[in-house]
Amino acid sequence: MSAEQVVKKYKQAPRASDADLRKLHCEPVPDDQKVAKAIEYMDQMRKKFRSFVMAMESCTKCGLCAENCHTYLGTRDPNNIPTGRADLMRKVYKRYFTPQGRMFGKLVGAEDLTMDTLEKWYSYFYQCNECRRCAMVCPFGIDTCEVTMIGRQILHWLGMEPKLHNHTGVAMGKTGNHMGFPKAGIVDTLEFLADDVKDEFGVEIRFPVDEPADILYVPSSADLSINEYTIKGAGMFFNYIGAKWTIPSNLLEAGNFGFLFDQEAVMRDNMRRLVDAVVDLGIKKVVWGECGHGWRTYKMYMDSALDRPLRVPVTHLHDEVAECIRQGKLVLDPTRNSNPTTLHDPCNYGRACGMSDTLRFVLNHVATDFREMTPNRQFNFCCGGGSAILFDDPVMYDLRIKFSQKKAEQVRETHVGDNGEGILCAPCSICKAQLYPMVDEHKLGVHVNGLIDLVGRALVWK
Amino acid sequence: MAYYFIGSILPYIALVVFTIGVLYRLGRWVGARIVHRIVLPPFSSTPTDVVVNIGAEAVFFRSMFRMDKKLWIGAWVFHVALFLVLSGHLVGIYTLGREFVYIGASVSLSTYLSDLLGLSSGLLIMLALLYLLYRRVTINEVRVISSTSDYLHLFLLLGIVVVGDIMRVFPATGIDYAPVRAWVTGIIMGAPVAMPQVPLFAVHMLLVQILLMVFPFSKLMHSLGMFANRWILHKMYLEPAPGMPGITAPAGEAYKPDFGSQAINGGVS
Repeated sequence: MSAEQVVKKYKQAPRASDADLRKLHCEPVPDDQKVAKAIEYMDQMRKKFRSFVMAMESCTKCGLCAENCHTYLGTRDPNNIPTGRADLMRKVYKRYFTPQGRMFGKLVGAEDLTMDTLEKWYSYFYQCNECRRCAMVCPFGIDTCEVTMIGRQILHWLGMEPKLHNHTGVAMGKTGNHMGFPKAGIVDTLEFLADDVKDEFGVEIRFPVDEPADILYVPSSADLSINEYTIKGAGMFFNYIGAKWTIPSNLLEAGNFGFLFDQEAVMRDNMRRLVDAVVDLGIKKVVWGECGHGWRTYKMYMDSALDRPLRVPVTHLHDEVAECIRQGKLVLDPTRNSNPTTLHDPCNYGRACGMSDTLRFVLNHVATDFREMTPNRQFNFCCGGGSAILFDDPVMYDLRIKFSQKKAEQVRETHVGDNGEGILCAPCSICKAQLYPMVDEHKLGVHVNGLIDLVGRALVWK
Repeated sequence: MAYYFIGSILPYIALVVFTIGVLYRLGRWVGARIVHRIVLPPFSSTPTDVVVNIGAEAVFFRSMFRMDKKLWIGAWVFHVALFLVLSGHLVGIYTLGREFVYIGASVSLSTYLSDLLGLSSGLLIMLALLYLLYRRVTINEVRVISSTSDYLHLFLLLGIVVVGDIMRVFPATGIDYAPVRAWVTGIIMGAPVAMPQVPLFAVHMLLVQILLMVFPFSKLMHSLGMFANRWILHKMYLEPAPGMPGITAPAGEAYKPDFGSQAINGGVS
């Protein structure tokens, strides 16, 4: 099958070239060896990750996950049923690594690995948003995210990965942020944004970059381009509380795409930048910006994946905002955010990082008309862009619209957008990047904002 | 000959396959590590939380109850009935139906209760299995993810249950507790006695022994896997404390704006 035929048969994101892969120091495996290598890598993974073994060996096929996965609800493709998606790998696992699969084959649902299966892996493991709603509802707690993550890892080693993820990984290696901004550009942009804040909010603020400080704030690089009110809000907050803070130019990135396709090398490389910045700038505490998968990576994975010890605590921006509110350090005027507002819980906040209460505490202090969507908190649905499957080509873009259908229904049911002036608060860079176009595609009548955007607007200065 | 094989040889094969098989599966699980912290809400921050969270899933099927009541009815009833059936076999056969004598019943009442409970749990588990089978066939999503073995497991369980129920409902085809106890004791003591020559009992035991041998190599291991999996998700986790060093909040300090009480702290205080 030629590459074009494969793309036609399975919906697939545009792929990184061999040259692209070598930029991440990964030598692609030739096609005729891919199957053998994939089995070898699977064998390594099953001996390493218990989460993976349990996902492969405990499913009873009760089907509870089907109606709880927004990608299945949006596409009705059986391979997008979480356990169906895991089956793409489970069948192979049974065939090569279990006695019953070796002896009884098809009877127990075991299948040989073929190049065609690998093409399916590439298609469907990048249709998974890694949102873990299926893990949340599974009676056994089987985490399909662990399966698709390991699938993506193996695909990366084989040389099959999306251009988007690869290019982002390469940009990160070169500049320390996903957008590829050099330090001079960062400083310029931040000065420009500070001027903007002065014009719009009438307050003087400064964005210190690479200065010795107590607090290291790590924003998402997208905040400097498409989410400007997020970085402005954070800047106003830190200036308001008189923090001795700084933004690191070597890690101007709350996200970590390594987490999404190469947890073994790229993710750890990115993490090491944080230790470098903390040591170089004499930091006492790290505060993380609005980014879902990034926060999960640095909150939950750092202990197990960091190459050098990090001796300072890391907390999330909204944990700190909430703490300041509790201590009465902020004077807030919620009437400045009086439009009907609903909150989208980024999956990694709600399910992986336990932030549901914090987000609501903060939002209730900065907005007057907050309406919950249903389901919410740890049971909320993904925006459809999770794990950065923000592909722009027509085939995958169409899927993004389908993946966000459930979110659109949820937002419509709150009626926040009825007058066309609603606010959809989505405190995560990937959610924002997905929802900016999707609220238009689904005509929801809402603006997409981060949460710190609303905090910044509500701050009352003396 | 068939009775000799099913009654005196197969039990040992089945027990060896079952034991070694289960140990082999458990060994595969512990051989791999919990590499990263992949906890899920509700987060456990104390050992009590861990027990409560895992216990709620194991005893009440909490997440299933929340998300899919229709499945929960079938699955939970099945497992409760299974528990009753298994413990009933153990206690009933060991005490020869006199288990309720220990809590004050007469021998005849105890036997009556034992029969009644046995019959009702047996019928309940059959209904639950039929319901789960019906669900597997009729719900499109469940059908497409099922493989042949998923049906075979159900048929095997149904076979065991139906044969057992027939022996209950038609006592002429069944067997008393006493000869069963003598036979089981013989096997356990390593000195097998001849199996009672009751055809349905032999079929019942043959199917049970097949189940024992299939168990370690099938999805039925979810009964143990569930705990292994939840152990990963409900590992203890403590949140880092919020609070930043060296902040003074001069911009808000000593300034009480005139928005009325509602505006300050959003009126939510």
